[in-house]
Amino acid sequence: MVKCVLESGRKHRIALAWAHNSNSIRSLMQAVKDGFAEALLIGQPEIILDVCKKTAVNPGLLKIIPGYDEDSAIKLAVKLAKNGEADVVMKGMVSTDKYLKAVMDKENGLMLPDAVLSYVCALELPAYHKLLFITDPAVLPYPNLMQKVIITKYASDMAGKFGVNKPKIALIGASEKASPNFHYSADYIQMCQMAKAGEFGDCIMDGPLDIFLACDNKSQQNKGLTTPVDGDADILIFPSLESCNPFYKSLMLFANGKLAGLLRGTTKPVILMSRNETEKSKYYCIALSCLMV
Amino acid sequence: MVLKNLSDLKNIAVNGPKRKLILAAAQDKDCLAAVIKAWQDGVIEPVLVGDESNIREICDANHFNIDGISVVNEPDIETAVQTSVRLVHNKEGDILMKGKAGTSTILKSVLDKQWGLRSGRLLSHIALFEVEAYSKVFAVTDVAMNIAPKLKEKIAILNNSVSCLNALGYKCPKVAILGAVEMVNENMEATLDAALLSKMNQREQIKNCIIDGPLAFDNAVSYESAIQKGIKSEVAGDTDLLLMPDIEVGNVLYKSLVFFAKAKVASMILGAIVPIVLTSRSDSEQSKYFSVLLAAGATK
Repeated sequence: MVKCVLESGRKHRIALAWAHNSNSIRSLMQAVKDGFAEALLIGQPEIILDVCKKTAVNPGLLKIIPGYDEDSAIKLAVKLAKNGEADVVMKGMVSTDKYLKAVMDKENGLMLPDAVLSYVCALELPAYHKLLFITDPAVLPYPNLMQKVIITKYASDMAGKFGVNKPKIALIGASEKASPNFHYSADYIQMCQMAKAGEFGDCIMDGPLDIFLACDNKSQQNKGLTTPVDGDADILIFPSLESCNPFYKSLMLFANGKLAGLLRGTTKPVILMSRNETEKSKYYCIALSCLMV
Repeated sequence: MVLKNLSDLKNIAVNGPKRKLILAAAQDKDCLAAVIKAWQDGVIEPVLVGDESNIREICDANHFNIDGISVVNEPDIETAVQTSVRLVHNKEGDILMKGKAGTSTILKSVLDKQWGLRSGRLLSHIALFEVEAYSKVFAVTDVAMNIAPKLKEKIAILNNSVSCLNALGYKCPKVAILGAVEMVNENMEATLDAALLSKMNQREQIKNCIIDGPLAFDNAVSYESAIQKGIKSEVAGDTDLLLMPDIEVGNVLYKSLVFFAKAKVASMILGAIVPIVLTSRSDSEQSKYFSVLLAAGATK
């Protein structure tokens, strides 16, 4: 992914809102050093300079823009992206709520008209043979049918940028049995029909499927049923944020996962990362945002 | 006393009297292997109820020596299950284990009003995980039985699970109530329940454990994550038991740990008059063995 970004030869201006945490600054600096980003750090200059000093980052390589409180820093980052002075907005040491509020602001925000805001990420896992794209671990608590359709298209679109042109899409549930007890069953069945009718482009879709059927190619045999996804999923669509969030966190902590994620539905790429996500993951998110510009 | 690895269950299970384990519809290779291993460890006294000729065929083919183990011949699966459950009901068994029968067949018998295994408590599922990157075993509930538990059911699930951990030697396990976020949010019922459960624990309405929540998964199991987010919690980073908001979250987490993190698992059903081992076809032979040890260790 990083290779693709470097090949484009462009340098993208990244506005880091409330740039007070060391791993956000360091990840951004790595992108600057690697040649595909320019850093605009918005926050209290003394704190930024202090963090740079403590983490051996040369402040001469970046531009510091004063912002004296969280809210004004976020608003400024969004404004810069809106009026073309920055290409990408990145979350620093602020809460997700405040950050998303500014991004979603009707007048001054970065939403595409009538778009659904959602988060998609690409996971690289030693135990899996290819990249796994998942959604939505961060924004939509309980996507309804329309939202599920949209986020599936976002995930397909992102997978396409990585060369996955006929994605296998698994609609995830606790079991493969459709049941009125599981609220998402009916939505999934409808989505599969829509997929057959071409709504999602060239793809293979099945659901509900559990994680084993989606990702483990021995699972079909064990369970004695067949699915065209067959343990080879590219994309996993989750029924809720509550199920997707611990899924990816467990993989990052316990399965040596690496991730790159991005908000979708915005006019400019918006990087959303948890404050405690690693520096490496943040770097990948920056690279991804540049790919998606 | 905290379990570092699932193999520590053997030390706990071996203490105390040998538990009588009834394997319902015992004509299943992996279940037989698990049961025989635990028998050889001196942990259980098995009774194999099922199609006797099929059972002996499987044992011969796999060189399982079952000399000295009782076999009750019952070729019909449903009848084998009923017979097994009745044995336990009549106090002739300490643990019930599912063999080659469907989960719904077992549960139907377990819940029978006349000769079932009801105790008046809610049935719930507990799973113990061992992953390389976490310094000790951690438990997760409920990933398989209760689909969308309300607060009342969550209290029952917690009480079942805490009692189980107490029986294994945990005096006061640390319990994290999982939410997608750490802040209480009026639109996310799981976070509201988490706050209530934490308070109930503080007021000693839920005892023998320390509860905190809502905690997101990373804060529950990673001390660094919690510190980075400025979370002050006795449980964060040191969780022994995670309560799931509903079955989807639990099931997804369970399967991701097993498949991607190569976790070892032991699981059982709590809340009946005896522990019930209810493993599935996708559980490994090792997991079935650990589940037997768990059931034996958690039986008082």
